[in-house]
Amino acid sequence: MTNTKTFAVLGFAAIVSACTDIQDKTVDRQFGGSQDLSNLVAGIWIDPNGCQHWIIDDGLEGYLSARLDRYGKPVCTDAYPTGYAIGSYKDGQEIADFL
Amino acid sequence: MKSDFSKRLRVVLIALGGALMALGLMAGAANAQNVVNGERYVPGIWVDPDGCEHWVMDDGAEGYMTPHTTREGIPVCRRVNTCAVMNSDQLFATDSARISAAGRARLEEFFRNAGAIAYSINGHTDARASDEYNMALSLRRARAVAAIGRSVGARIASVRGYGERQPIATNSTAAGMAKNRRVEIQCIR
Repeated sequence: MTNTKTFAVLGFAAIVSACTDIQDKTVDRQFGGSQDLSNLVAGIWIDPNGCQHWIIDDGLEGYLSARLDRYGKPVCTDAYPTGYAIGSYKDGQEIADFL
Repeated sequence: MKSDFSKRLRVVLIALGGALMALGLMAGAANAQNVVNGERYVPGIWVDPDGCEHWVMDDGAEGYMTPHTTREGIPVCRRVNTCAVMNSDQLFATDSARISAAGRARLEEFFRNAGAIAYSINGHTDARASDEYNMALSLRRARAVAAIGRSVGARIASVRGYGERQPIATNSTAAGMAKNRRVEIQCIR
């Protein structure tokens, strides 16, 4: 039942979002020029469970991505209060001093 | 509006991926790939301060990011963020999770000087004995190391035992097995 529904949604979405402009999504297009996305500088945001996420605000776009250890487990500590972002993650400032 | 929709489409696509496979519709999906007019999103790669990769995209208005992992869920990293690897033979007797006096001194010194905000402790064994036994032994050993860390004021973020499931060397030689018997300490900075 759900599958039929989701397939319908899928088909509809595919039709509606049919789009011809293929553009490079690897370049940051903010006002005042573009920069390579690999240069982004991150801070850390602590989710309500105490787990860390990389947070980046390059001025126009925001990015958030989980911080994982080498086994793929989330990195969680009680070292920081939950619901806060720490570090100088806004607009390409120098790397954060977390303390 | 349009990108809003493509966002939703991708969420649906990801959620449906597993279901599609289970339904044996892979052939259909492969065919669909040739005709579906989706929006092309080619990601760039951003490397986080730990050295691990993330997929990153900017379509002009929104930015997107998600960890780059293998299909097994293991992050793809350019360097390994391990602070210390303690050889189990230097800390424990065979099959034991009791740390020797010398091992304790070494660990205390490490935790006092490493200067990280928190530590993750991961225990590992070689492939002798059963998987179940090794999972338990590696966890007990990791807990023993964590207890020493706590005793000198270190903040322990997580303690896990991976048994024999994450070897770093072959288990068919004595030297390889010795390498696999280890407790890894990751420093969270």
